[in-house]
Amino acid sequence: MIYTYKKVLDLDGNVDVNIIYRNEDGAYIPADKANTDYQEYLAWIAEGNTPEEAE
Amino acid sequence: MASINLQGDTSGSISISAPSVAGSNTLTLPATTQTLATQNALGVRNLIINGDMNIAQRGTSTASITTGGYYTVDRWRLDYSTAGTWTMSRDTDVPTGQGFATSMKWDCTTANASLSAGSAMIINQRIEGQNLQHLKKGTSNAESVTLSFWVKSNKTGTYIAEINDNDNTRQISKSYTIVSADTWEKKTLTFAGDTTGTLGNDNDTSLLLNLWLVAGTDLTSGTLNTSWASVTASNRAVGQVNLADNTANYINITGVQLEVGDTATPFEHRPYDMELQRCFRYFEKRTNYIETTAPTGINAYSQWIFKTRMRANPTITNTGGTGTVSNISVDGATSYANAYSNFFDTATASAEL
Repeated sequence: MIYTYKKVLDLDGNVDVNIIYRNEDGAYIPADKANTDYQEYLAWIAEGNTPEEAE
Repeated sequence: MASINLQGDTSGSISISAPSVAGSNTLTLPATTQTLATQNALGVRNLIINGDMNIAQRGTSTASITTGGYYTVDRWRLDYSTAGTWTMSRDTDVPTGQGFATSMKWDCTTANASLSAGSAMIINQRIEGQNLQHLKKGTSNAESVTLSFWVKSNKTGTYIAEINDNDNTRQISKSYTIVSADTWEKKTLTFAGDTTGTLGNDNDTSLLLNLWLVAGTDLTSGTLNTSWASVTASNRAVGQVNLADNTANYINITGVQLEVGDTATPFEHRPYDMELQRCFRYFEKRTNYIETTAPTGINAYSQWIFKTRMRANPTITNTGGTGTVSNISVDGATSYANAYSNFFDTATASAEL
């Protein structure tokens, strides 16, 4: 499956730089380089993709 | 102290010594032909988690599998490319008299008899480097490891088991044969120690145990690499049968043990709670929500404390609850939403390798 991603707002309405949201399955992915989902996200970014802005 | 010394034919010896204290001790040898292990008999010797396929937090059956990932039994991952369609289940078909209650079953539901060059189907378990330091890989004292498991399939022929060093891009393969259709058979394979390439002492994947079921010509066109070497794709799975070539095909596997040394000891039946706790390090599923209330316009918060410290900050998938997830750590996560909410219902935390 090819995933897409969206930024997440924190409680103060700012972009939460520690979390990325995966649209297809509603997963909250922490910015931890040991997390394989985050590794997949970084690879997706490296391909030139950009996450959707937070709502 | 009285002792008996057995001298080896060419070198080495074994000494059995009685302590110089009151009382007597009894060492009982097996009545039947078995191996009395030494180093490996101590502690948790099986490097594989959930080798008896008893833990299945994700469910006991998943159909229509055509992509890689984790399904049903914990810790066992599928690597996949163009190799038919499959149902994976935790099955109750087990070898008689071995003390197993469950096996992992793969059942082909759509065949692929004409594989692509890059086709592959591999059942694997990925092992953290910090759990492998005693293999002394990359040193002159590198240890051999022995794989043992039970397997049953209608498809007889050659299959490949592989150990892959993810840190140093090295691998070693061994072939085995399923001799009789629809019959449980025990397989034992010993892999030599590797004096090249140390393993990271960290929480990342260092070794993969790969059990091949399907391999295209990109992975079979060379010569099977039975000694440690840098990865050459065409040498990884030479001779592997195509388990995807018929919808009648299936395979059951259980009792997987990977241990230091050149001897397969009896399967280490660990307590259910111990094995479940080890699985929680990589995946935890909760099926009851946390109910929290707050006045309208005020955020309600809930905290999920994981049952054990996870391997890494996990991905949280909150399939039944509400709220935005934040503050994810190896120990827990927070969810928040306006006013009343049910948090973390049927949620999962995944820190799989």
